[in-house]
Amino acid sequence: MNELITVKELSKTLGKVKAVNNISFSINNGELVAIQGHSGSGKSTLLSLLSGLEKQDEGEILFDNMKIGNMSEDDLALFRRKNVGIVFQSFNLIPTLNVVENIALPLFPTNINKKEMMAKAQKSAESVGLKDRLDHYPNELSGGEQQRVAIARALINDPKVLFADEPTGNLDSKTGKKILELLQSLNKEIGLTVVMVTHDDSIAKVCDRIIKLKDGGIQDE
Amino acid sequence: MLRYAVKELVKRKKKYALNILVISLVVVLLITLTSLNTAYKDASKLPFESIHSSIIVQKNGNVAENTTGALVSCSLAPIKKDLISNIKSLDGVSEVSYGLSLWVFDEDTFKRVLGVNWDDSLGRKIKSKIYVGSLPQSDEKIIVEKTFAQENNIILNQKIIISGEAFIVAGLSETSGKDIVSSDIYANLKPVQEMAYNSKNLQDTETFDRSDINIIFVDAKQTKVADVSEELDSLLNKQDSFSGKTPTGQKIGSYSIYTPESFENQISSIFNISDKIVLLLTIVILIGTALILFKSMAHAITERKKEFGIMKAVGFTNKDLKKQLTLEILIQVIVGFLIGILISLMVLFALSGLTVSVNIPWELNPYPHFLASNPSSVNTIQTYPLPIQFNPQQVILPMLSILIISFLTIHILLKNIGKLKPMEVLKYE
Ligand SMILES: Nc1ncnc2c1ncn2[C@@H]1O[C@H](COP(=O)(O)OP(=O)(O)OP(=O)(O)O)[C@@H](O)[C@H]1O
Ligand SMILES: [Mg+2]
Repeated sequence: MNELITVKELSKTLGKVKAVNNISFSINNGELVAIQGHSGSGKSTLLSLLSGLEKQDEGEILFDNMKIGNMSEDDLALFRRKNVGIVFQSFNLIPTLNVVENIALPLFPTNINKKEMMAKAQKSAESVGLKDRLDHYPNELSGGEQQRVAIARALINDPKVLFADEPTGNLDSKTGKKILELLQSLNKEIGLTVVMVTHDDSIAKVCDRIIKLKDGGIQDE
Repeated sequence: MLRYAVKELVKRKKKYALNILVISLVVVLLITLTSLNTAYKDASKLPFESIHSSIIVQKNGNVAENTTGALVSCSLAPIKKDLISNIKSLDGVSEVSYGLSLWVFDEDTFKRVLGVNWDDSLGRKIKSKIYVGSLPQSDEKIIVEKTFAQENNIILNQKIIISGEAFIVAGLSETSGKDIVSSDIYANLKPVQEMAYNSKNLQDTETFDRSDINIIFVDAKQTKVADVSEELDSLLNKQDSFSGKTPTGQKIGSYSIYTPESFENQISSIFNISDKIVLLLTIVILIGTALILFKSMAHAITERKKEFGIMKAVGFTNKDLKKQLTLEILIQVIVGFLIGILISLMVLFALSGLTVSVNIPWELNPYPHFLASNPSSVNTIQTYPLPIQFNPQQVILPMLSILIISFLTIHILLKNIGKLKPMEVLKYE
């Protein structure tokens, strides 16, 4: 299988804590990967490095043969827009925008015309099963629906990989399961690479691979 | 992005209402201030408009020792008539008219007498103000000003004695009130010149030739007024043989050249203060605006930190964020401006009902200081409707300053957003 992300001797210090400590691994195209570990083990930090939200202190990340650690902040923003989708535990929607607009947010700074933008947003909404709530506002949606909007927003640019940091953490187990099934089906059906942080062992079990972190390092694979 | 900007503003309109209110208030204040200021300045030109003359030339002379018979005011010394042809040949001069203004101390009353040519621009101006009777056809006929006539019970066709000469009242005029050069009696130039020539007291004070005059009106095109007045100054005041000073401080023998501008400077002492106040107020208003806008924008941005984090996370560059913010603020500025201009127009309309009093300098309408009270015909204070108007140029200052304030604010605040790490704001709920 071809490697999408290659991580070499990656380290990141936050304050006085070595949040990520000399990690090396790789993720293949089309994989569904779970990252697990105790609270404070560095899962979120690792995910933010992989997705280009933060820069590493040492080591190297090759994303599709691009060294993202060397990019400027603006280049990283463009990299994120083009290549990755990110979903957080809190849904992080813009309260003044309705569902389609929230989904289309990553396209706002591009030159794409309005019609095409709306078409893309609608298609993305459909892929997460949100066809008929398009003109609702975030405060009118349930938690599960809000997370679907966040996923649809992450998918709008056809990313190579979707990073999800405890995407079910704020949801009850039933809704969480639905979200998980959605991520699974995206992985199976369109071959989307998914890297997901989760505490839930039953969720981790359905993944192709688990990366276990402890004190910033990899425990075992 | 425009759509997002509009939605942001509409959905959180309460937050942005303050900005828009502040912007429109500033526009109203600045436009009203500058309009009032220019209106008061323009008001000082109004007396000139009513006399339809651009430039007035007078000569400064001596003060008479005693006050009997016909005299000239020390600001209206005799001028040789030859000067007229010299002035006429100056570049930019379109018409020259002249007269002889006398103070006549008769035993019964004090009279101001102005001798004119009825067919030049000064004469035509007075002619147009005659409301009873007819134009003096001969030298013994005169026009009497209405207020003076009423105060002295003078009626049409009455015979009155001026400095020992008999005249007949041919008509009454209504010239006082709005004019710089007004008089109690208007006569043909010739008999007034004779009167001056024959006045022993006048000849003791000044040397007066039969053809002398003492006031010249030079008409010039609006754009040439400054040039012509300079030419006049170098033509008339090039000799520096002046000695002594008049009671009002002019050099004896020198010529005073009054243009609307010089006139404005003379009477603007009150308005100069207002100029400074306007400047001060403008600065205070702008600083206040800067502070309020900065605070309110900073507040709005801090509250939206998380949103900016989200935008960055999904691929907005700092430049994209700047565009977004600029768009939002630009919309506020435009809306604030439109509202501000609308309110300004209403305020200016309301203010156009005001009147303004203009104090005319003594030299331009001399009246003996020692006469206890000025008769009402000598109006040194004139009242006009305030010439206030909306000048689109007045929008430029508030527009520029608000735009500069806004963009400076964005620039400063963006430094903070630029440093913002998406992870830090997005990690926690
Ligand atoms: N801004 C920061 N400054 C200092 N230390 C930090 C900062 N952010 C995180 N850390 C520390 O880095 C370590 C890793 O944090 P991280 O958020 O990656 O953990 P996590 O595995 O995601 O934990 P959780 O399961 O609770 O989300 C922790 O010890 C944390 O205290
Ligand atoms: Mg975490």
